[in-house]
Order: sequence, then structure tokens, then C-alpha cells
Amino acid sequence: MSDPVRLGLFYTILRPEEKWLLAAATARGIPLVPMHDEGMLFPLDRPAELPAVVLNRSVSHLRGLYALRFFEHYGCRTVNPAEVVERAGDKILGSLALQAAGVPTPRTIVAFTDDGALQALEEIGYPAVLKPPIGSWGRLIARVHDREEAEQILEHKSALPSPTQSIFYVQEHVPKPERDLRLFVVGDEVVAAMSRRSEAWRTNAARGAVAEPLTPSSELTEIALRAARAVGGGVLAVDAMESPAGYVVHEVNPTPEFKALQSTTGVDIAARILAYAQEVGRR
Amino acid sequence: MTNCPECDAEVSCGAMIAGEIFPCRDCGTELEVIATTPIAIERAPKEAEDWGE
Repeated sequence: MSDPVRLGLFYTILRPEEKWLLAAATARGIPLVPMHDEGMLFPLDRPAELPAVVLNRSVSHLRGLYALRFFEHYGCRTVNPAEVVERAGDKILGSLALQAAGVPTPRTIVAFTDDGALQALEEIGYPAVLKPPIGSWGRLIARVHDREEAEQILEHKSALPSPTQSIFYVQEHVPKPERDLRLFVVGDEVVAAMSRRSEAWRTNAARGAVAEPLTPSSELTEIALRAARAVGGGVLAVDAMESPAGYVVHEVNPTPEFKALQSTTGVDIAARILAYAQEVGRR
Repeated sequence: MTNCPECDAEVSCGAMIAGEIFPCRDCGTELEVIATTPIAIERAPKEAEDWGE
């Protein structure tokens, strides 16, 4: 058996996922070097000591993206590659990739002004969902029921200092059962899946949705694999909803959390990710 | 051993590594280990706009 590939764990904070990755690596004799993003410097020339493969677990989209570009510039393999994180970590680029690949996804319109956002909302039809292009955990997402509410929300958004809050991603509100579905893809396989049930309209685990294990149908599995391939593949969490017209994928997460999924399904997702990173390092 | 930046209580980080988040036992402030040699802690970072999955 060949020696294990030396891995780096690029991270911001140590969540259960990162602790599980470190523990799983230790248990398997895989060298996994912690690389805390706050303490790292990135010169243009390659530093002396670098792992062969860097596993990006930075909770910051921008830090992760720039760091991956540097690691790739230095000649390291990355999980996931920068282009995958760039595509999937931005809801607009993600939607473009899904649509281009023919993956069913909710109807979406992007606008750059308040007036444009109002037009987009009218065209999509109320209720609609207004999201910032970057961000997770249901943060700063609004379900808009009518024009009056839309005008109030847009006025509040325009007072926010970040320029990304003035890029308006307007999406149809999908009437679905009180749950959404998450499928965790590693390479060419769905390794675990769950539903997230909540009476609230946002079904993020971070917002207290109740997770239940899910055995996906072959149709749903195929859609998840196509969605993962659409953004470039790797370690990805595909979020889908059951619309009256069938499954729709609304998001593919490129730096996915898996605390709820691993706890709910008992699948050792950390071990699967490490095995995949080893495989990437041997390519 | 170091001190909580909020209440100055003595804080022990044991075998923690940089990036670990833990509450101060005295005041409950969320703290982050910034470095381990020597040990350095700060108030835990607030969730930023680009944080997520």
C-alpha cells in the first residue's frame, strides 16, 4: 500500500466537522496539517512547506476563494478547487451553472437596482424570495408577499453598506412540503442524505430545522449528481426541494457543513472526504 | 494560561489548537484561540457577511 498523501486543513474556526476530520485522519494515519486562515500569509512565491492537497474548510467564502487560488498557484491540489467554490459559492453563478446543465432549478431573475428588483418580483410573482448572492444559513433572505412589503425590504437593503446587498437575486417561492432535502456528494457518489423539516419557510439546519435520514430515489440521486457535476464536482452538498412539478435544486454548497447529516445518518462523512482528498492527491 | 479579554479571569486552553471557540467559564464570553505558542486568545469573531457553506 502506498504512503498516505499529506493533506492540509485550511479553516477559520474549528467546528465539529473540522474536529471530526482531524480525528478521522489521526485514526487512519493520514497526515492532516491544520492551517488556520487567520495566521497565514500568502506570498507570490511558493512557501517551502506545503501539503500535497489542501482541504478548504474556511467558513469565509472570500478567504477560501483567494487562498485556493494561491494554493493552486503553488502547485497544490485542492478540495474543492477555486473554480468550484467560486461557481457554487455565489448563488448567481450557481444558478447559471445549474440552468446551463439542464438541472431543474427555481425560476430566478437578477437585478441591480431597487426598481429592477421590483420589476423582477412582479415578473416572478408574489410570494417570491429575495436573497443576497453570497451567504448561507438563511441570513438576510426574505420571503416577499406583496409590493408594499417589497418596497420596505428594498429600502432596508439599500441602507446596508455591502455592495452585494444591492445585487438582487429574486427567486420564485417554491410551494413545498415543510421540508427540503440535502444530498451530500463526494466525487461520483451521494454518500448521505437527509430531509430538514421546519414549520418555518427557511429549512436551514442552522435555523433549527429537524433533520431526518433520507434514502433518495434514483431520480433524486441522479439530479444531485448532475447538480454537483454542473458546478465542477468534488465534495458538495446539494439542496433540493419537492415542487409540485418535481425536484428542483436551489443550491449547491461548496464548503458544506455536515454535523447534522453525520449525526442523523451515522455515515462517517469526514472519512469519506479524507478518502476523496487522498484520491485527488494520487491523480 | 492566559486571561479573558472581557473579564480578565484566568483561562486555560489545554490541548486546544488555533481556531477553537470556547466560552469563558467566568463571564461566558465566546473566546477564540488565536495562537498556541505562546497562547493567545481573543473574543470570538462575529459571523461575517461572506460566512457560510
